Amino acid sequence: MKILIVEDEQKMSEYLCKGLTEQGCAVDLAANGVDGQHLAIEHDYDVIVLDVMLPGIDGFSVLRALRKVKETPVIMLTARDSVEDRIKGLHDGADDYLIKPFSFLELLARLQALTRRGRAQEPAQLRIGDLQIDLLSRKAFRGGLRIDLTAKEFALLAVMARRQGEILSKTAIAELVWDMNFDSNTNVVEVAIKRLRAKIDAPFEQKLLHTVRGMGYVLEPRATADSSDD
Amino acid sequence: MTEAGEDAVRLRWLPLRQSITARLVWMSAASALLIFALTGMVLYTVLKGELLRHERDGLVTTLNDISYQIARAGNTERWGRVQAKLATLSQADQHVSFWISSSDARFTYGDLSRLAPQAIRADEGNSVGRLHLPGRRYPLHIMTRTLPAFEERPAVDVTVGVDGEPYFEMRRTFLLATSVFSLLGIVLAVISSYWIARAGLAPLRQMSDRAQSFSPRRLSARMPVEAMPQELSVLALAFNGALDRIEDAYTQLEAFNADVAHELRTPLANLIGETQVALARERSAGEFKDVLQSNLEELDRIRSIVNDMLFLARSDQGEAATARVPARVADEVQKTVDFFEFVLDDSGMRIEVAGDTEATAMMETALFKRALTNLIQNAIQHSPEGALLRIDIACQEETVRVAVSNPGKTIDEHHLPRLFDRFYRVDSARQDINGSHGHGLGLAIVKAVARMHGGRAFASSKEGVNSIGFTIARQ
Repeated sequence: MKILIVEDEQKMSEYLCKGLTEQGCAVDLAANGVDGQHLAIEHDYDVIVLDVMLPGIDGFSVLRALRKVKETPVIMLTARDSVEDRIKGLHDGADDYLIKPFSFLELLARLQALTRRGRAQEPAQLRIGDLQIDLLSRKAFRGGLRIDLTAKEFALLAVMARRQGEILSKTAIAELVWDMNFDSNTNVVEVAIKRLRAKIDAPFEQKLLHTVRGMGYVLEPRATADSSDD
Repeated sequence: MTEAGEDAVRLRWLPLRQSITARLVWMSAASALLIFALTGMVLYTVLKGELLRHERDGLVTTLNDISYQIARAGNTERWGRVQAKLATLSQADQHVSFWISSSDARFTYGDLSRLAPQAIRADEGNSVGRLHLPGRRYPLHIMTRTLPAFEERPAVDVTVGVDGEPYFEMRRTFLLATSVFSLLGIVLAVISSYWIARAGLAPLRQMSDRAQSFSPRRLSARMPVEAMPQELSVLALAFNGALDRIEDAYTQLEAFNADVAHELRTPLANLIGETQVALARERSAGEFKDVLQSNLEELDRIRSIVNDMLFLARSDQGEAATARVPARVADEVQKTVDFFEFVLDDSGMRIEVAGDTEATAMMETALFKRALTNLIQNAIQHSPEGALLRIDIACQEETVRVAVSNPGKTIDEHHLPRLFDRFYRVDSARQDINGSHGHGLGLAIVKAVARMHGGRAFASSKEGVNSIGFTIARQ
């Protein structure tokens, strides 16, 4: 995935560049609106991360100039948590926006969602290690054994399985499973993960559902037991 | 005061920003001018009329005096005596003149037609005419009477003239005196009204001096209402009312700032301390990883507090819920209850949804669910295991009311209204029964969401059931 980051704050652009490169993305950086606009128009990116407050030309102007030429997906970063900004950004043709301070995981999820759009139909069967999930009949098997899950437990498992190997924050899980798109300050997700883990992981040697402390949860087969697991 | 002066008055006191003293002075000057001008005009008109009447009476008397003799002078001999008498009278009083004209040249006295060729006839109704003589400053007042023919004499016109000087001099003197006194009166009015205004406005000046001394350091300072004149005490009361509200807001803000600082200080202290300890000596990557993970948790806590505070600040600034859509309240309640399915299951609790399940309202569903999530979370935290919680939906005239009730320790009356204050905790020990994830902003957010939907938050506590909820406008 080829990404352009237009951000004047050095610390932020550095860690975004590092994090995205480590995720296997090719990242270009621009520290002001003029360079950003030039790069965005001259090159073909899969997605552009665009800060609103920029020296030179601001993010909205860059976006307007870009939209006259091409339809590259754009995520706006804004520090001003106001409705006007959001409306203005989306009206000018931004595909998504994130309010600072945002979490890196959140950005990653949004980037993937934007580039995933229009991709081929997802498979009806998912497989993580020896865990097999049938999304159509809503059944899960592990080592050939049927695992009995409630509707919400299955929804949680399906969300994690569709994004296997991807760390999902508690907020993201709450949004994807329960449509609760706000910081809820509850322990609902922890409790849910605990229940799911009891059903899909507890009876088996190899653990699949891992806790990444401070960040969230990930569903993936790991070679060795993770020390940070609960 | 001249015309131009009056114009200046009008132009200068029109703007309201002019000082009150100046306005009062201008206004009393203008009214003094008006009063003196009117009085002077009336007096002058009356005086003029009276003087003229006096002149006419004099002329009529003189005419009567001489007419008797002239009427009986039928021949030249007698006419000679008339002429002699008239000459004597004119000489005795320089101010009086006589003329007699007729068709017969023998029976005449003086030549009026030479002085006034236009032949003044002012005999009807004893009216007074004026005759301007060359070399005289003031005209003569004249009166003419026609006497019928007698014996040899034809009909004659007898004219009496009186010098107008005393009359005109008196008028002039009166006008001058009135003007001078009026002018003096206006000057006096200006001076006295300036003094009155200064003295009358003294309480206002004291009030402003007093207000100058108010500052955030002296928040409890107030206007002394008792010592104020009646008119100002209303203003002082209103002013004090505003000060009360500002003091409340200020105190609340200060407490809030202190709370914010405190809430942020703990995670910040953890971050700094932990990082310092980690860096103090060589450590393995695993150990550093632990520190970073722990730091991330603290940072997440800070982010959450900051985000919630920004949300509250926006609500404080009067931001309303903009993306409101019509929704069935019970549906959104059920979705939120479903969110807690696992948590409720774990602690053996149940939630019963009751009331008007058909009620609909305009709402931003994410905000509604956020508020309700906070309420349910709060109820779960303060209930014993296995408790039955209740959510009541009630449709009211203009609002829909949603209340979450849980069995629990009765909350003191004085805590109830303050439950929705930021960082407010009923028990000073900052620990909840079922392990808190919140940071004391949950119920403040409920209140903010209610306000953004044109409703309000409420709380009650009796007979071991605590009920906290909010209303939102139906439309």
